[in-house]
Amino acid sequence: MTALAPSQAEQDFERLLPADASPSARLFFDQFRQAGLPNRRVENWHYSDLKAKLRAALPLAGAPDPAALAVARQKLRRCERLRIVTVDGFFAPELSDDFSALAGVEIAPAGEGEFFGGAADPLVDLNAAFSRGGFLLDIFAGARVEQVIEIVALAGVETDRSRFGRNLIRLGAGARAEIMETRDEGFAGFGDSALFIELGEDSQLDHACRCRETAGVEVQSLNIMLAARAKLRSVSLLSQTPFLRRQYFVSLAGAGAQLHLAGAAILGRNDHADVTLVVRHDARDCWGRETFKYVLGDHANGVFQGKIVVPPHAQKTDGKMMCRGLLLSDDAALSAKPELEIFADDVACGHGAAVSKLDAQQLFYLETRGIPHIEAEKILIDAFVADVFDTLASEPLRDLLRADLTKILGEEKPA
Amino acid sequence: MLEIENLHVAVAGKKILNGLNLKVETGQVAAIMGPNGSGKSTLSYVVAGRADYEVLDGAVRLDGVDILEETPAQRAARGLFLVFQYPLEIPGVATMTFLKAAINAKRKARGEPELPTIEFMKQARAAAQKLNISQDMLKRPVNVGFSGGEKKRMEILQMALLEPRFAILDEMDSGLDIDALKTCAEGVNALRANDRSLLVITHYQRLLNFITPDVVHVMSRGKIVRSGGPELALALEATGYADYAEGAAA
Repeated sequence: MTALAPSQAEQDFERLLPADASPSARLFFDQFRQAGLPNRRVENWHYSDLKAKLRAALPLAGAPDPAALAVARQKLRRCERLRIVTVDGFFAPELSDDFSALAGVEIAPAGEGEFFGGAADPLVDLNAAFSRGGFLLDIFAGARVEQVIEIVALAGVETDRSRFGRNLIRLGAGARAEIMETRDEGFAGFGDSALFIELGEDSQLDHACRCRETAGVEVQSLNIMLAARAKLRSVSLLSQTPFLRRQYFVSLAGAGAQLHLAGAAILGRNDHADVTLVVRHDARDCWGRETFKYVLGDHANGVFQGKIVVPPHAQKTDGKMMCRGLLLSDDAALSAKPELEIFADDVACGHGAAVSKLDAQQLFYLETRGIPHIEAEKILIDAFVADVFDTLASEPLRDLLRADLTKILGEEKPA
Repeated sequence: MLEIENLHVAVAGKKILNGLNLKVETGQVAAIMGPNGSGKSTLSYVVAGRADYEVLDGAVRLDGVDILEETPAQRAARGLFLVFQYPLEIPGVATMTFLKAAINAKRKARGEPELPTIEFMKQARAAAQKLNISQDMLKRPVNVGFSGGEKKRMEILQMALLEPRFAILDEMDSGLDIDALKTCAEGVNALRANDRSLLVITHYQRLLNFITPDVVHVMSRGKIVRSGGPELALALEATGYADYAEGAAA
């Protein structure tokens, strides 16, 4: 079999790789080069043809200079939460809060060439090859962080850039934390970010992510590992995604780990959002619930691919996956592909998918009470989406997502 | 005042209303009685503005304004209210959120500011108490898991809060036991007023023992075929609708 000639973007990336790239960066780039940008013939990229979408690679974003920091600072509003800010994928201590007073928490710049493994995926490899300047957030064993920690991703001055944010959140045994991720890097450029979440034994993390604007072409990879009895509740709210692939690679690595993943995508225009999950039950007695909802208007395109893998030793696995779509327009589409790979014999696994329109009778009922049609639609959309947030135990995180949803639905009521 | 003139309506290509004429004066309580399939519910839906009903001819005027081109919400803003025969369940929407949205929509249409949340809660709780609606019911999603009686009481609660100028009660008595019927009827009677008209649609005379109408209209085959006083309802209870069905067929 002869390899296809590399695409323009693939050649561009080769040229962009810095001369001083570390040996490991080169190794990851080689892995990327061998696979190439995934196209629709690659099965798990079938609905998101990245190769066709990414015609050329944009110049690399550099570490933020004072001008970039000033632009980012303008976007930050005062808030109660402790914040970690990145600009173009680079950790910006100048804009971040001081964590030194917070017991059991440490934030440090990730050194160059410091990699944390990750899934076998060309975009994770590409990220590993190019990323510099991320952060490590450590929440040490036994620490209970009462305050919400917020990670804010912003862009600098030059927006037509390739960004490769790469960060690690690590909870020690028995630690507890609530983390909000706010991604607001603007529509311009290319993004290939990687977030690593490692949860120690008996730790608990509530994690919420609101993607307010994603780049013209963006891939977000989450590499998540749960040790025994660790509990992760993670909810994402996606909107304004010109072309987004958000992929989760989860390993329930210790017995009794619990995973609650949920998300909602509210899309219009020509937005494309692809949520792809690979959840591996690598130990026995693990529990997983994955629920993703899509509200699709105009020509929006939603993709859900969910794969649950249960190897022979992962007995007593309990896994359920659900995808629901609400189509607001005849031109919107949702593609859902659930997969179960089960090799153990004592498991309870299931999946489901449903697509519907707004209920005309319910709309009529609301309208007869004087609620204008468009408001009635919003009420029903809100009702469709909102229970996704209940996945989170953290009330502040739920309230923040709820406020964003209200904003997305255009109710213009301050949270 | 509601005036319906020569109203012809089809649903999914089938003619249901055939030149219906009806006038309900301001402050009047009018009852419409009629057998199954005579078009009573269609009438209530058409007046409220349901989209899948095709108006072939005629006019529906509320206080002199033809409302047929208006959206259901615009009609509601004019003071129209429909008590549904089968109130809809809306999972995920909290009852209080829904009530507040409805009240504020009305206030907005009138150019009034939104009701402060505290004031709204007070009003809603007071009105609920009168109808034996528990705080717990108000916390649940709209009509979800409610019994037939609870749903109807919730309809009357909405009517009490929205203070319509003109309300249509579509078979309010269906699915109600006698106690629930009394509670709902008391709620409705409390809302009788000189500037408010009610149109009570029912199969049975029983409801009219609790809500005494000023006039009774008999509907058959999509039009009003007879009108009279409350005694007409009693006569119907004795003889049934057979006469009217035959009369219309002839």
